[in-house]
Amino acid sequence: MQTISRLHRSGIGVEPERTIADVAKLMNSSGVGAIAVLDDDRLVGLVTDRDLVRRGLARDLPVDARVDSVMTSPVVTIEADAPLHDAVATFARHALRRLAVVDAHRFVGIVSLDDLLLDLSDDLRSLTAPLAAEVAAPQRDSPLPVVN
Amino acid sequence: MLAASVGDRLIIRGHRVGEPERDAEIIEVRGPDGSPPFLVRWSGDGHESLVFPGSDAFIQHFDRQET
Repeated sequence: MQTISRLHRSGIGVEPERTIADVAKLMNSSGVGAIAVLDDDRLVGLVTDRDLVRRGLARDLPVDARVDSVMTSPVVTIEADAPLHDAVATFARHALRRLAVVDAHRFVGIVSLDDLLLDLSDDLRSLTAPLAAEVAAPQRDSPLPVVN
Repeated sequence: MLAASVGDRLIIRGHRVGEPERDAEIIEVRGPDGSPPFLVRWSGDGHESLVFPGSDAFIQHFDRQET
């Protein structure tokens, strides 16, 4: 059974008092679009690049505003050992593009809808390969039986 | 599980075609026996953060040059 742990990306975590300017720069230097907000080891929120724009810039928040003023909380999470099917169901239930991955309630990373779709599309490609071969080479049909 | 020491380099692969790798120096190991999370300093601008490595990450020994 394939689980989330095979798929999830690295998670980046910051303290709640970190400024939104710092977090924006951190997203740029780390190449991620979502950062976990951790109070000690406890996951208290998730902030995305979209949150920084819609809840920060668009509302004229100062660049030194705390990141916990724009984060999403509580966070929708999924266990690292959950099957991929559970992630599909969770994405379907919530209008989200990213889920926080936890292991025994501790944050360990992020899984995105993009990652899941790419993985599923690989599976679909494998499943459809025999069909595609039949369409491309219909002469592979079995010959009709010869009746004397 | 990725294990690391202070001074090692954490590398995260690009998530899209053409996106560069990102790297950071591990400045503190928070887990037991070299395990994550790691406190890192990103090479781009020196910002620090905790990192919980996923399937997109690997560790290289950080080859520091004496100055």
